[in-house]
Amino acid sequence: MFLFSKAEDSSRLKQLRALSLFSTLNPRELKTVDGLLHERNFLPDEVIFDQGEEGQALYIIESGKVLICRQGQSALGKIAELGAGRLFGELALLDNSPRVAQARAVEGCTLAVLFRADFLGLLETHAVIASKISLQLARHIGQRLRETVNAPGSQSE
Amino acid sequence: MNRSSGPVVWIAIIASTCLLLFLFKKILWLVVPFMLALIIYYFLQPATHRLVLHGLSRKAAAAITGGGFIALLLLCAALLFPWVSSHAVGWQVSLARYVEGGSLLLQKTMKGLEAQFSFLERASLSRNVSEQIATFTETFAQHYLADLVVTLAAWLPSLLLAPFLAFFFLRDGRRFTKFIGNAVPNAFFERTLYLMHEMDKTARAYFQGLISLTILDTIALAIGLWIIGLSGALMLGLVCAVLAWIPYVGSILGCLLVVLVAATDFPLDPWMAYGAIIVFILVRLLDDFVFMPLTIGRSLRMHPLLTVLMIFVGGAVAGVPGLMLVLPLLGIAMVVGETVGMIVTDPRLQARHAYARSLRARQAAADLQS
Repeated sequence: MFLFSKAEDSSRLKQLRALSLFSTLNPRELKTVDGLLHERNFLPDEVIFDQGEEGQALYIIESGKVLICRQGQSALGKIAELGAGRLFGELALLDNSPRVAQARAVEGCTLAVLFRADFLGLLETHAVIASKISLQLARHIGQRLRETVNAPGSQSE
Repeated sequence: MNRSSGPVVWIAIIASTCLLLFLFKKILWLVVPFMLALIIYYFLQPATHRLVLHGLSRKAAAAITGGGFIALLLLCAALLFPWVSSHAVGWQVSLARYVEGGSLLLQKTMKGLEAQFSFLERASLSRNVSEQIATFTETFAQHYLADLVVTLAAWLPSLLLAPFLAFFFLRDGRRFTKFIGNAVPNAFFERTLYLMHEMDKTARAYFQGLISLTILDTIALAIGLWIIGLSGALMLGLVCAVLAWIPYVGSILGCLLVVLVAATDFPLDPWMAYGAIIVFILVRLLDDFVFMPLTIGRSLRMHPLLTVLMIFVGGAVAGVPGLMLVLPLLGIAMVVGETVGMIVTDPRLQARHAYARSLRARQAAADLQS
């Protein structure tokens, strides 16, 4: 029930390494992280989380597409559409502030979920792994910030 | 997370704690080793955590700490067995001596009371009590010893299970969380993860608090008994501290034990026994007002009135095991109840779950619709 075969193990690690958040981890570190990740499947149009909900986890898209939008405004309030390899809900990893937008599955998707308490535990037990993930997370947030600043209509100096 | 619960949730928490106590009483052979395993697990967890910090995998760390603990137990048993066999006769004599010492102290106290109150002398209090104690001690072996030995032999296999359970908790605890998480619908997933995290936090704080409390009680009682000059102060302190895991009943048993030892070691000085009682009461007060709030009190965040009431309820529902189990069970029921209460009373989560179910039903029936 719990054990992977070697072939499954290696393909799973390759799959994880393809995700930007874990791209700098070595196989041993990936195995540790894999022990913490939960896998969830969502159907098209299923709500992943709501705007204003207290966030407890970060989501990474393994396959499928996810829409980030204003609460209940899938068409008009669209903020972004994310594909495989991208992550969302990352602010929940930093604090337990409410979610700033709603996330919905555009098509059937598989998501890897990293729970905040597990990440905080990782910071204590495996500081190197946690710092590599944190750096990737900081890069990701920086990229988001740049995209927002450079977006047409933004008031950048 | 906001953790304010209404009266309905609280009634459900208390009712489910009582129900669990009632059920657990029926399967004590499993509950007791499970509880012991949890104590061992939380006792070994910091050491396992430290090994993981030093770069070992969780499996290797669990094997070292869990295996080390089991090996230590086996070593202790191997070393103690010949020692116990050679000292068994001596212990029998000591036990008889301690019972006699306690009985002498009781007789002296009764005679003192009879001298003060004539109605007690007329009722022959001292003689009656002495006769009853003598009858009990003479017939103890006939009536209870065989049952006691059989009960101990029946409990031994399930008690031996505890260290092995603890080892598997250390090794596979995380996988169990994942396994439970997989069974939960998407809408409740984050809340469930939070619930499991909080349950682990509560149980860890309670059991690690219990271990710290036992160490503090042992040291305080050992110092007190050593100061008044009692023999085997450290061992007595440890036995009394472990007995104190059973609220009220354990403290009374511990006090009786200390008085028996004091009365036997100093048969001509009843003030020694009274001194031991005073030390015991002082340590209990220190325990209730200083040690307990510093250790277990912080973990359960319960109102003291509720704690006392639930201890009585636990005793009434499941006897001595109920007294021991009621607080950790209530702590866990509180976390589960508050979180389930939040999920059940959250219309948005319910609506999301219903919508997801309808999506799944539609997907399953997609090729059946014309």
